Amino acid sequence: MRRPDVAFDDAAGALAAGLASGMTRRSFLGRLGAGVLGVVGGSAVAAAVEPDEAEAFHFCGHIWTTGSCPSPLGIPRIDKNGFPIRAKDARPIDNLGRLVNAQGFPVTEGGKRMNGPDGAPLERGPRTKICEDWIPERFGIDAHTQGSWYRCCGGQIRKLVDCCSRSRKRINGDASLTGYCYSGRRVFCVMYYDSGLKC
Amino acid sequence: MIETITPAVCGSRRRHRLAVALFTVSAVLAAALVGLVLGFAGSAVGPATALVAAAAVLAALAALRELGLVRVPLPQARRQVPERWHAELPLPLWAAGYGAGLGLGAFTFQPVATFWVACAAALALGKPLVAAALFALYGLGRALMIVLPHRGIRPADAVERLVDRRRTLVRANGVVLGACAVALALAPLAGAARPQALALGPGSELDPSFSRGILAFTQRVSGVSHVVVREGKATVQFPGQEPALDGDLLAFRDGGGVHVIRWRTGEEIASFEAASRPALAWPWLAYNHERQDGSSEILLRNLAKGGVRGVVRGGPKMDFGRPAIGKGRVAWQAVGPGGSRIGLMALATGRRVLVAHTKIGLLAHPALSDGRLLWVDRRRGGSKLKIWAIGTRSARVLTQTASSGRVFWTTALAGRTAYLTRWYTGKGIARIESLRF
Repeated sequence: MRRPDVAFDDAAGALAAGLASGMTRRSFLGRLGAGVLGVVGGSAVAAAVEPDEAEAFHFCGHIWTTGSCPSPLGIPRIDKNGFPIRAKDARPIDNLGRLVNAQGFPVTEGGKRMNGPDGAPLERGPRTKICEDWIPERFGIDAHTQGSWYRCCGGQIRKLVDCCSRSRKRINGDASLTGYCYSGRRVFCVMYYDSGLKC
Repeated sequence: MIETITPAVCGSRRRHRLAVALFTVSAVLAAALVGLVLGFAGSAVGPATALVAAAAVLAALAALRELGLVRVPLPQARRQVPERWHAELPLPLWAAGYGAGLGLGAFTFQPVATFWVACAAALALGKPLVAAALFALYGLGRALMIVLPHRGIRPADAVERLVDRRRTLVRANGVVLGACAVALALAPLAGAARPQALALGPGSELDPSFSRGILAFTQRVSGVSHVVVREGKATVQFPGQEPALDGDLLAFRDGGGVHVIRWRTGEEIASFEAASRPALAWPWLAYNHERQDGSSEILLRNLAKGGVRGVVRGGPKMDFGRPAIGKGRVAWQAVGPGGSRIGLMALATGRRVLVAHTKIGLLAHPALSDGRLLWVDRRRGGSKLKIWAIGTRSARVLTQTASSGRVFWTTALAGRTAYLTRWYTGKGIARIESLRF
């Protein structure tokens, strides 16, 4: 016989997945519903929604309203050092959204060096930290990666990261919240890092 | 004045013909000079769209004035050509002097506003030769006033007839000026600031370089690159890529490094190994040099006097791309994992300026000409072609694309025309476009 908490989790997950697949990107009620259900059935929601689609919920594990940090492909997935990676497969990308190899050169899906119109392999492009580099340049404010919290998403522990600033406005344009920030900073935008640890 | 240049006043029919010829040539040349100066002035100041808008407003105002709807005073020199010249000077001098005085336009009475609208339009056009040609027509018009009346009608009668029809002529002038105002207002929307693809042949074309009416570029067909020098419809080809053109001289890269040749004869001037991406403005050659430790640098050579000096150097992760050189300056890109920047150095003083920098975008492919610097600002969301009038506060966007599949690549700049390679990443081809700004 199934444990009651597992059954509840599954039911919540199924409901959330149904909501997610049916709502539009701008559906506030859908977002709210998915967010509430995500609290109780987060793992199932994450499993039901592919990472590229997850922005409809904001992203798995994040139920508050502060918006995502800007990133090359829209979804602010970062590696452990704060650099952008592709949400669906965690492959590193540069600031232009191109897949890059370990040396930072743009590569194809198959991993081959990408060529330019002159037939020569493309040179490296910039690949910089979402919080510390993108936010100050785009918004003219200081920004530091500070507080974080954890949720279970897609069967692994997801670290949700606050990009904090002394700005009193957050990326949404309204007043910012303290969140997990410290030293007088407040949450400007949020990112996430998937740890790979099972939960 | 119109009665001065008659056979009776000139003394004989032969002297009259001489006076008419000198008057005409002088008026045409003087008017062309006005156009030339205004065209040069227009090419030196910017932005062009603001000048076109100003010319459109002026034309509209002039049209309303001519139609009698508003009263606007004209800038006037309330003078006529000096009558005493005819008495004091020899015929060639006074005939040419009268022509020049009327051809210059601003030194004699202007009954209508058209001349000043033409001045504003020439300024906005910013093309000295075209403006000179158009203003030459104004000089020709002035000359016709002394030529046409002699075909069966007395000069004084011709003037009287014009005066009788003045109201109709002024109204017609107003309508034409109104049409000019509309045309000027629509010019920016009608493609003046829209890139136009150049039909340069099969395959991919990239790396434009423009000098004295001649375009050089790399053409790739079936994976093989050639440098094409195109003068009118005639073309010359060399095996290689990355051309840099300066008059009769061409620098380009092949497997052996960078070569500098006289492209009309093929005679080689110089060659440099481990070099790529040349930029040429005689006697200077700037190029990318790969060092033995894997790092790269931009070197600057004086091809006339010899000698080489470094412009910028970086580690193995830095990409300096193709530098640009012209008007005593050299510009370069520096792209690395930590960001990108566009730098500029004065050749005479060695003074460097950081023109633009970013940690999140890709600034690349600079081009230099006539006090302006052009480059590509590429982001995830698309590409922008930016231009900076050197010494001014900020750069402006000439054109942009939001498509990540049609990115901007190498550029060239000649006066107020930008050349741009557009790379279609999906198809793997590139096309060169020109953009008048």
